[in-house]
Amino acid sequence: MKLTSVRSYLTGLLLIMVLVMLPVVAGAQSSWRWMMSLRVEKTGDAMYMPSAVAFDKATSRYYVVDTGRDQLVSFEKDGKVIRGFTANGQLKAPYDMVRLDNGNLWVVEKGRNSLTLIDLAAKKVTTHILKDGDRQIFPDRIALDGDKLLVLDRASGDVLRLAPDLSVEQRFDCPKCIGGLTDFVVDGHSVLALSRRDKKVFRFNQNGTVAKEITLQGGELDFPESLAVGPSGLIYILDRHQSRVLTYTPEGNFKYHFLGPGQAPGQVYFPRELRFDPWGRLCVVDEGNGRVEVYRQ
Amino acid sequence: MSLSRYLQAVMVFTMTLPLLLATQAFAKPMVDCFQCHDRAPFQKRVKHEPAAAGECLDCHSPHAARFKGLLMQKVKDLCYSCHPDAAEQHSKGMAHQPVIDGNCLACHDPHSADQDGLLKGLLADVCFGCHTELPKKFKHTHPPYAKGDCTACHRPHQSTNNYLLVKERDALCFSCHKQAEVQKKHPNFPMKLSNCGSCHNPHGSDRPGLIRNVLHPPYADDCSNCHTGKGAPVRMETCLECHPDVSEQMASSHNHLVRYKENGCTACHSPHAGDDKRLLRGKERHVCGTCHESTFEQRDAAKYKHPLKGLVCNDCHAPHGSNHPAMAKGPINDVCNQCHGKHGMFSHPIGNNIYDPRTGQVLTCISCHATKGSDYKDHTRYDGKKDLCVQCHATYR
Repeated sequence: MKLTSVRSYLTGLLLIMVLVMLPVVAGAQSSWRWMMSLRVEKTGDAMYMPSAVAFDKATSRYYVVDTGRDQLVSFEKDGKVIRGFTANGQLKAPYDMVRLDNGNLWVVEKGRNSLTLIDLAAKKVTTHILKDGDRQIFPDRIALDGDKLLVLDRASGDVLRLAPDLSVEQRFDCPKCIGGLTDFVVDGHSVLALSRRDKKVFRFNQNGTVAKEITLQGGELDFPESLAVGPSGLIYILDRHQSRVLTYTPEGNFKYHFLGPGQAPGQVYFPRELRFDPWGRLCVVDEGNGRVEVYRQ
Repeated sequence: MSLSRYLQAVMVFTMTLPLLLATQAFAKPMVDCFQCHDRAPFQKRVKHEPAAAGECLDCHSPHAARFKGLLMQKVKDLCYSCHPDAAEQHSKGMAHQPVIDGNCLACHDPHSADQDGLLKGLLADVCFGCHTELPKKFKHTHPPYAKGDCTACHRPHQSTNNYLLVKERDALCFSCHKQAEVQKKHPNFPMKLSNCGSCHNPHGSDRPGLIRNVLHPPYADDCSNCHTGKGAPVRMETCLECHPDVSEQMASSHNHLVRYKENGCTACHSPHAGDDKRLLRGKERHVCGTCHESTFEQRDAAKYKHPLKGLVCNDCHAPHGSNHPAMAKGPINDVCNQCHGKHGMFSHPIGNNIYDPRTGQVLTCISCHATKGSDYKDHTRYDGKKDLCVQCHATYR
């Protein structure tokens, strides 16, 4: 082989190696890859300002709360649209939801300031204006902890565990937090809550005491909106203004970030909620783009 | 020439060369700028050291330069090159707008001035030069304000306190007004004296005691309209009883319901008195900036900004809540049309039945324009020459 041929061969090999290795090196910090979008493809029917995503492991379904169109949209596990549900046109600015084992739905309706129970079998919608003592509750996020319902009250900034009669039976609060708690998730036997203005995460025991106060350090958080906890304990924070997910160790030290603003697949625009689905995928409710972006490792 | 002489000559040349080069590098041409330029503006009471020393070429390039005034660098960079401490200090906390803009010459004369600190004029005149919204005097004027002593309360460059205050607000008031004496004047105040600005305008007012001009009607009528007198806090429900419209606005997917002590309304509004009928606790830049500071910073940093002259946040945003993105007052295109009504007659098709191929969302003004500002002309999201278009029209690449 001539010297020039060897040189060309080596140059080509180097080029191929660079091309192969570049994406690996570039994404070395984040192993999250865009998998699919939960979106309504039909022209003119796209979701408008979705605010939350919920899951049903048993039936392998996603539910997306489509606030702008007053409906709940169900999707197959592979992202195929099943249908939009409006409770016969009765939903008013739905914001968050959970699905019970019996198939009934609890829905936060901001338009009525109600925690609404939808009995699908009986086709019955029951609104509930909640009270915490003598003051009104303004439900925001909801989640299930076993058979108990947890509600974030926007007015008090507290997470409240409700008794079956919907009275408050336990309070998870942070009196010194500026502006109260912003979002929460149930993690095992704890409630993990985010304080936006303080840029802190609180891990609460079942009795409402604070087990751990985690200051999120580094990563230049701007407007933390939502949180999720990975299987390894890594804390994922969704920054609405940066359109970015930042990850932190259980001690609050910044690890890496991913995503960015835009409209292309894999980009988000004013995202609203971050949740892990039952299959280990990370779901970002992408309000500005009317979809939920699903990522896998 | 013998070899030894030759070597000696080489050694002498080698040793003197660096000296010669250094001399050339540091030497400044002897130029008398005052052959053409009037000397008088350089000879006022307080002189800037380089100008006084005739070191014009420290800042100016005599033949051609990229910057106005034949400056060798941007004004800010030039100033900070000799004042590095100022550069560090100005990067902390909140900065005055001219500092953010790097416009040192808004207040300072770079050559000489009659005022200390090379101020271009009397302190108050310099301040009022930009702050034209402030009256020079009120019916009842706070004495430091009347004297034009703005720096009695405000720092001119930066501060860690809102409004560039020299101290935290209440601490600043109590640094002149003895707390015991103030307490005597507020005999029925139900708690420790605080939050003076909730009722008093620190500059001045039409009312005695600098009470802000616009009183909340229940406060003007009788405190017991809201306060039960048993020390119980006044809750949001009390406010919403008289303001059902706000209650309706709060019933939106995006709303500004926040926890703030016992009553979220008081996060933004003074329950007692204000400078206009909204009874805001300050200017929007500060009230909104308390939580949305980064939004203002983002606008400040943009090369092309949406003009703000005469505009306030709630010209575009519904401050209590809305069912539109970014808590806009209505559908985005309608909000923009308030001012840009004619734009729709010649722009790219937008609105109902025009969809963004990337997302299926209705195409709006903000599909192409960043509302606060961007680094591209007309504050578009990408370069309008091509990059913006190919986001959707990929075949035009």
